[in-house]
Amino acid sequence: MIITGSALFIEPGSEKLVLEALDRFPEVTFQARSDSGSELVVNLEAEDHQALDSLCARLAEAIPQIVDITHLYVHFGDEIEEHTNSNKP
Amino acid sequence: MRMTRREMIKLSAAAFAAGALNIPFANPAEAQGDEVVVDKWIKGACRFCGTGCGVYIGVRGGKVVGVRGNPEALTNFGFLCVKGFKGFLSMYHPDRLKYPMVRQADGKFKRVSWDQALDLVAKKFKELQSKHGKDSVAYYGSGQCMTEESYTFNKLWKGGFRSNMVDGNPRLCMASAVGGYMTTFGTDEPAGSYSDIEKAKTFFVVGSNMSECHPIIFRRIARMKLEAPDKINVIVCEPRYTSTSRIADVWLPADPGTDLAVFHCMAREIIKNGWIDNFFVNNLCRFTTGQQVVDFEAYKKFLEQFTPETVSKLTRVPVANIVEAARLFATQGPTMSLWTMGLNQRTRGVWANNLIHNLHLITGNICKDGADSFSLTGQPNACGGVRETGSLCHLLPGTRLITNEAARTQVEKAWGIPAKSIDPKPGFHTMQMFASLGAENDTTKPLKGMLITTTNPGQSLPNAHKYFKGMEDAFLVVIDIFPTRTTQFADVLLPAAFIYEKGGVYGCSERRSQLTSKCVEPPGEAKPDLWIGAQLAKRMGFEKLIPWNGDDPAKNYQMAWDDYRMCVKDSEHTIYGMTYDRLKKLEAGLQWPCPTPDHPGTAKRYVRGQDPIMDMPHIEKVPPQAMIYFYADKQHEGKANVFLRPYKGPEEPPDKDYPFFLTTGRVIEQWHSGTMTMRVPEIARSQPNAYVEIHPNDAKQYKINNGDMVKIVSRRGFMVLPARVVKMSLPGILFIPWFDQAWDRMVNRVTIDAVDEGSKQPEFKICAVKIERVGDPRDVAEMTIISNVNDPFPIKV
Repeated sequence: MIITGSALFIEPGSEKLVLEALDRFPEVTFQARSDSGSELVVNLEAEDHQALDSLCARLAEAIPQIVDITHLYVHFGDEIEEHTNSNKP
Repeated sequence: MRMTRREMIKLSAAAFAAGALNIPFANPAEAQGDEVVVDKWIKGACRFCGTGCGVYIGVRGGKVVGVRGNPEALTNFGFLCVKGFKGFLSMYHPDRLKYPMVRQADGKFKRVSWDQALDLVAKKFKELQSKHGKDSVAYYGSGQCMTEESYTFNKLWKGGFRSNMVDGNPRLCMASAVGGYMTTFGTDEPAGSYSDIEKAKTFFVVGSNMSECHPIIFRRIARMKLEAPDKINVIVCEPRYTSTSRIADVWLPADPGTDLAVFHCMAREIIKNGWIDNFFVNNLCRFTTGQQVVDFEAYKKFLEQFTPETVSKLTRVPVANIVEAARLFATQGPTMSLWTMGLNQRTRGVWANNLIHNLHLITGNICKDGADSFSLTGQPNACGGVRETGSLCHLLPGTRLITNEAARTQVEKAWGIPAKSIDPKPGFHTMQMFASLGAENDTTKPLKGMLITTTNPGQSLPNAHKYFKGMEDAFLVVIDIFPTRTTQFADVLLPAAFIYEKGGVYGCSERRSQLTSKCVEPPGEAKPDLWIGAQLAKRMGFEKLIPWNGDDPAKNYQMAWDDYRMCVKDSEHTIYGMTYDRLKKLEAGLQWPCPTPDHPGTAKRYVRGQDPIMDMPHIEKVPPQAMIYFYADKQHEGKANVFLRPYKGPEEPPDKDYPFFLTTGRVIEQWHSGTMTMRVPEIARSQPNAYVEIHPNDAKQYKINNGDMVKIVSRRGFMVLPARVVKMSLPGILFIPWFDQAWDRMVNRVTIDAVDEGSKQPEFKICAVKIERVGDPRDVAEMTIISNVNDPFPIKV
């Protein structure tokens, strides 16, 4: 499972609309907003990186007010274990 | 309330992200200390690009499990790009080289012990030096080695072997910037710092797609532009309409290699409109042709040929854009210029650098808050590790010229070697080095052996075909973490530790050194480069010169660093005050000059009250009344040179046979030759193969659709890859990223190896090609890597 701390950069004035739209995504947890309301801090949760990419693509498509999604923190401990365990001898 | 581990991770992640964005975050994530995500977070630096992002490396169970940006780092304030976050995953790729190997008679590698491998290398190097002279074995290093490593190999070669056959891959990326600073200011590296970004009002971005190549720096500029679009001006001079160009107020789309005329034209407009800074022009500028000092009037007269109309015809940049760029640059300051390879990788790279400095000097846009002429470095330690330690064929530590007798004497004293033992004659620069490499019985090739570390010339040299045979025929020792195009030519393979498996210092674009502590053990028997260099030194009789060969890596690195600190103590690049203890404690590292252990470091050079060298007469003599003084001026007048460089275009402009400009570069996801980033699945998937960008008008003419396979042919070779039909490039200009190691798509099979006369940097950015549609779209998303060390090179050389 991957968990991110991500920034959603959104169009000025669209915060309410975006937060309502985010409610439809159970993989997204809203955490904080900037004073201007144009930056939202969220957690994104996904099974693996492909799923994370896919979630970001779906968010961008469903919520056109999102200008950019940037992951500022990525927890991927489990994935590392998989890498480690798959090492060749 | 006790949180679950998942909630804890989510809150930690959110708290970190909020911190990076400077957004208040009230959740008490850190107060719930009874749950931990990692065993420890260890401070370090990112190992990709020259920005110098501060990171924390998360370690759990002896493995690196995560990377986060360091919010206290003054380079990135916690932000990281995709490479910074995910690049470390390559550490755990199964292709890691884990054991020393020696190529056998049947062409296959055989695992050997470290003693066997190092004894063989030492014996062979000694044999070659004894038979063919001290200069018959070369060292080819990297802007990705740690500073201590580059310093050690440089010292072994120049102080031990007494040979200057030392160069490195910064010759391919930064040499023209060095040449520009050295010829204009008398010394290398910028006067200012990243902190000027937040104080600047106008940005002049030249030959740099910062949004992809230095995304964290770009974010700082883009954020300012976004917050105050009417107050912040961005000028971008770049032939492609990149995502960097998209935030520009003025785009100067000059044809590749023609921008010298644009810079001169801007200077002409500035003077014509009276936008010069008279104090700078009268007191701090020396006008010169390079051969002869002239006056300001002669400079004005020289510039007359560069009228906007003439330059527009030559470059394709609209007249109005040049005029507006000049106005913004000179009147809406403070102005900061930033550039990278588009300016450096040219046969006129040094001149192009000089002309940017000219604009800053005549308008007084330097040595003031927010004003600087700032070269962005391509690699994480090209500045700190190679330029500053003098690990190039013509330099000594402290970026002192090897031809300078006083500098040689200083270094000989510091190294404790007899006077006059450093050879005053520079060695071979990179291209000459590889052109001179060959078999023992080849009398035309003076170089018979080479040690290569942390770089991949088998893929990265321009006009690559020309240099394969030399690498194949010579005795080649390669230190790396993965098999590469270069290891395919190696006789001995030495497995290296990744940065987080050894630690050490990196110095970024803004003269800032940051220490990474060792986080985890390397895999198998992989070793730090420093240990390898010191063991080699010991076996070749130079243990006294390089005594840091013990089994404690941290102690070895600190010993090497302290030796280096002493060596440059009395130079204007002094880092004497940067002790390991300080670098361990400080979140953001330190900027040189830093002459004493209590000095806070220097954000702005040449300014009294800010630069300590201004008041250190035993290093540089500066008149007491001077507030700004270019103390490295070779004429001892405290002036910088404003050059009257004549216009000259690229080495190989398009013609009727080869009608297209080809330019090359990076993409955000991939790093250099892709040997690490292509092993991170999510990165590899996002950019799985190289492609050629082509303008729709050209595509139509050649009946090329998106995805069609296209053959690119130059006078030196050809390649086949899919087309991306986009409007980013102007008609007549093609772009190909260079990360792909698949043989068909290795762009350096077609690039040109002509070099800048001064810097000897090749013109990667410009050559002439022709194109041909050769097939329908094909899936080439192969994410090519060389997995097996015994995979042969794709062709017989």
